[in-house]
Amino acid sequence: MNATERIEAACSFLLQSPPGEINDVLNDVRNIISDDDSLHEGVLPALKEYNLSQFMTVDVPGTDHQSIVSEAARVAATQEGQERFIDPRSKTSFLFDHLSLEASDSQPEEPDADSEPFRSALEKATLTYLAAHFHDGVTSVFSSKEGTNQFVIQVVANKYNPANYWAGRWRSSYTIDLNENMVRGQVLVNVHYYEQGNVQLSTTHTISLSLPAAIVTSSPSSSASKILALIENEEGKYQESLNDTYQEMGEKTFKGLRRALPLTRQKLDWDKVLGYKLGAELASSKGMFGGS
Amino acid sequence: MGDLVDSMLDLMRRLPPTRTEENVTALIGICPEYADDLLGSVDQPLKLRTDRATGKEYLACDYNRDGESYRSPWSNEYDPPLDDGTIPTPKLRKLEIAANEAFDTYREMYFEGGASSVYLWDLDDGGFAGVVLLKKTMTPTTIHEPSGSWDSIHVFETAERGRQAHYKLTSTVMLQLVTRKGSDSEAEEKAGNGSGNGSKWKHEGEVSLSGSMTRQTEQDWPILDSSSHITNTGRMIEDMEIKMRNLLQEVYFGKTRDIVYDLRSVDDLEKARRQIELQKELVGKLGKR
Repeated sequence: MNATERIEAACSFLLQSPPGEINDVLNDVRNIISDDDSLHEGVLPALKEYNLSQFMTVDVPGTDHQSIVSEAARVAATQEGQERFIDPRSKTSFLFDHLSLEASDSQPEEPDADSEPFRSALEKATLTYLAAHFHDGVTSVFSSKEGTNQFVIQVVANKYNPANYWAGRWRSSYTIDLNENMVRGQVLVNVHYYEQGNVQLSTTHTISLSLPAAIVTSSPSSSASKILALIENEEGKYQESLNDTYQEMGEKTFKGLRRALPLTRQKLDWDKVLGYKLGAELASSKGMFGGS
Repeated sequence: MGDLVDSMLDLMRRLPPTRTEENVTALIGICPEYADDLLGSVDQPLKLRTDRATGKEYLACDYNRDGESYRSPWSNEYDPPLDDGTIPTPKLRKLEIAANEAFDTYREMYFEGGASSVYLWDLDDGGFAGVVLLKKTMTPTTIHEPSGSWDSIHVFETAERGRQAHYKLTSTVMLQLVTRKGSDSEAEEKAGNGSGNGSKWKHEGEVSLSGSMTRQTEQDWPILDSSSHITNTGRMIEDMEIKMRNLLQEVYFGKTRDIVYDLRSVDDLEKARRQIELQKELVGKLGKR
């Protein structure tokens, strides 16, 4: 492998990192490639891609809350070429270091006057939903860069427990399109359990819903809380349906692959399994039973 | 340079089990000089092959590989053919044949299908070692039926000590389960209980549980003759698989589910918090009376 291919392989490893283990993976990769100079430059795009797609959370400078660093949060690069990320909740933007995962150089951001009332209503409703159902959740609600009357709700919840060898991440993302009266969303769950092994749960769930006219024509706050009620209902159902999937996998697939015990409900009689004839033949070849 | 192999193994313990083969290939590309260390320590899904002589299926892994060829336990032949491929001594081959027959019965009793293979080799110290491989795959007939695969790799070493033998067993089970769901498959059951607002969600998704777990044990068993090695390892492997099946069940269907519930709660946490507050208040008031 040439140097470029090695960096490509390193990037692929990083992008596969389980929740909360990007630094462990980076340390391993650093050891394996053992060329820090080319690695550092080479993997930065992969680290950025990982952070954006995994909804990395960051402490927003000057506030006591966290926001999500994602594609939806990315502000067009300034003339100096620096990339900034927005936290609509504090109406600020900041620079983000994709290696140290820290924000700096906070600056005020003036929100769009037309979309801000609905965005902030959605944010309020999402924060209520977050407190009701997520243990350590973070949310950011954006006015979409893609077009007017479009909003993006993102939610991420992480639990890292390296002492007990497990980690988990829940990501939800919804685009509310008030032009088409549609909600399109995706829920992604990843769990890694690695005590004397490596077991991973990975789920994808994509959803779409057309919003009834009654919801869209209400006031921003009433409309927002109705939308969040729909999301709450759908995510709750999804979580319960996961239970059914677990049960189905356990009863059909798992049992179908290997029985707990043979049909006889007893463990094998290995002397019988070996067979008298086979056993006798082997015994005589060694001569131990030669005299009997 | 043990550090480097440690880093590779740590990496493989973290990356998705569904991509093990691709990642091992990439690691070998980066460090070709460690190919043997890596192939010997990272368990990969077993490959199913067909014995050209007998038409029987057998399993390929690093233990029956010589160069690019794999030896079948049924015909003892390498495929592609090798003139000087490593084969067991005639005495050990006899035991290997018997072990393959015994574990074929074991496979049928527990897996009711699939394939099994046993490979034995002599050790320098006079003892011998072996690997017992079992694999079963469930292929769905429609896209919404669950699919899955089970791969067992039991590696053992034995040394005879008079009428006793000491066994060291390392067992790895790789288990993969995938279920796909879509609006189509649920359309009927959902029809009765829509979201209430006359609005219906369309959804589709996939749930994938995959991974491997490894356990070790060391035991002493009496031996009467060489066939005792089959009954002894048979009992050890049977017990180990029963133990590991329980463990897998607990981790796959218990632990990972609990972690999902640690991330998100179905019940309203705010309501629960208010209830606790209320209770505290009540207890406080009662205390003052």
